[in-house]
Amino acid sequence: MSAVRFKGVGKRFGSVVALADLDLEIEPGEFVSLLGPSGSGKTTTLNLLAGLLPIDEGEISIGDRVVNHVPPDRRDIAMVFQNYALYPHMSVHENIAFPLRARGRALDDAKIDAMVTGVAGKLGIGELLARYPKELSGGQQQRVALGRAMVREPKVFLLDEPLSNLDARLRLRMRRDLKALHDALGATIVYVTHDQAEAMTLSTRVAVFNHGRLQQFDTPEAIYHRPANIFVGNFVGEREMNLIPGDLAVENGASVVRGRGMAMALGSASPTFSAAAGSRVVLGVRAEGIVPVADPMATDVPARVVATERAGPEVAVFASAGDGIELCCRAEAHAQFGKGQAIGLRFVPEYLHLFDAGSEKSLRIRGSTKEE
Amino acid sequence: MNAAPSWRRRALVRRAINAAITLTICLFALFPILWGLSTSLKPSGRILAFPPELLPSQPTLEHYRLLVKTGIHGPLANSAIVSFATVVLALVLGTLAAYALARFEFRGKRAILFAVIAIMSIPLPSLLVPSFIFLALLGLTNTLTGLALLYTTYQLPITVWILYGYFRTIPREYENAAMIDGYSRLEALRKVVLPLSGPGLIAAGLFVLTFAWNDFVVAVAMNSSEGARTLPVAIYGYLGFFGREWGPLTAAAMVSVVPVIVIFALFQRYFLSGMSGGGVKG
Repeated sequence: MSAVRFKGVGKRFGSVVALADLDLEIEPGEFVSLLGPSGSGKTTTLNLLAGLLPIDEGEISIGDRVVNHVPPDRRDIAMVFQNYALYPHMSVHENIAFPLRARGRALDDAKIDAMVTGVAGKLGIGELLARYPKELSGGQQQRVALGRAMVREPKVFLLDEPLSNLDARLRLRMRRDLKALHDALGATIVYVTHDQAEAMTLSTRVAVFNHGRLQQFDTPEAIYHRPANIFVGNFVGEREMNLIPGDLAVENGASVVRGRGMAMALGSASPTFSAAAGSRVVLGVRAEGIVPVADPMATDVPARVVATERAGPEVAVFASAGDGIELCCRAEAHAQFGKGQAIGLRFVPEYLHLFDAGSEKSLRIRGSTKEE
Repeated sequence: MNAAPSWRRRALVRRAINAAITLTICLFALFPILWGLSTSLKPSGRILAFPPELLPSQPTLEHYRLLVKTGIHGPLANSAIVSFATVVLALVLGTLAAYALARFEFRGKRAILFAVIAIMSIPLPSLLVPSFIFLALLGLTNTLTGLALLYTTYQLPITVWILYGYFRTIPREYENAAMIDGYSRLEALRKVVLPLSGPGLIAAGLFVLTFAWNDFVVAVAMNSSEGARTLPVAIYGYLGFFGREWGPLTAAAMVSVVPVIVIFALFQRYFLSGMSGGGVKG
């Protein structure tokens, strides 16, 4: 296991900037997810680290070694591809043994066989060694791909959306297995995904990308509760964040955002908020930050139910408030809200995020008096 | 049987019609070859007999014996050597060129691809004189080496084109995986890409083989010596040797046709999937 460091790394495809000025330091043994929508630069980052793409500027190092000009076969990394890339003309055994037979390893057949069997046993695919990839189910292929990566005990594992080709149930199970695997191996893992739930559940830290730029690199907790900007806040989480543009005001020591025909209290004014008073802001709040209450007079924000959606143990309530903006809020499973019903919305101050309307950066992340 | 449901009877009828049409087309296409085979087995006196008979009433191998006596094995071996060398050369060079075109971005790539297609459209006869002069300058006329090199040159564009198309159907991830697994690009090509390119290689190889094996024009223009004579030229020799001796001529033609038919029959499955540019991959 090794540290991985990106320093000022950039990559262009023609005139398109795929990745700009990336600084990222991954500690040894960390499980880091690169999260972002397609075209955000996360896969480019992985391919640069793997050596599958030449790097345009900056420096990448694995351990103490700068690997800018080291070809992929000399980087001592293993990679699991989205489509697994199992060699179709080789049996499972041959697939897993393939990295061990590379030149310069000089392992004898008995040793190779022992290693392959060992890894296959760990992954529960010991019975499949004689089969060919096309005779395996998606989950089994996935395990073989993992086995091929594990067998050589590399410095760093690179996983490129390894679960996205599996069905939903299997994906959840493989997620747990991957986490267990990381705990067992203690290896450095770099994991590319566009699925925020995967990134949040698996990682020690998450790097969120957009438009070729790193937006935030922090623990899943911090990413969720203290998003650095509107993009991160909106991208992470089960549902889209409610975004309400407005003006920030400080009245009697408490800050208030007024916009879209509503007034939302943020609690006591922090120094940052006070400094930003009078400026255009965007209030971001996740569904769990808005509590619908049956009595429209009980809160400052009256609203009307537009639709409800039962999602597992709770109910998502879509309500129209203020000048007609539609907000998504979360209610307990037993709550009964009918379409068209007049309700009140209570904003939970702890769940409110304030962003600058121009830069879209969080106003809370620095100098905030109160954090969850 | 008369209780068979009508849809089954209709399916049967349709299949019978299909078979009849296919058979007719086959007979039409194969007739010259069958006629040649029949002629080669008839004694000289009966070849032009009227009415003609398709099945020889007095089959004989005398023409084949004559071929052996006049040394058909020389040209046969020459053709085999030249064809084999051409196929190997064209596939090795074609693989490297096609792989580079399929996988790398470099300046002039489009121009090269265009040239590959453009060259294929040049009629062969117009190349004979320049080819001959070039070969003469190199001192390679009347040699099998010269022929093999020329055939390779003529067939390289189609080889590159077929393999280029085939390689592009193979996902890059396989090579990327192999390279990350510790193999250089050339090793990845050899251990992963080529084993998956069987149909493409076979399609290209058959193209080259049939050209090299059947070529008459180039061989007759470049070679005048007996030592470097290839089979098609030798067959032509049988035509003039004894006046209009149909027996030895058709016998020699049969000797020339059989190997190609056998090879095609063995590989036809791959040939088709190679030509349609993909085939099934796990």
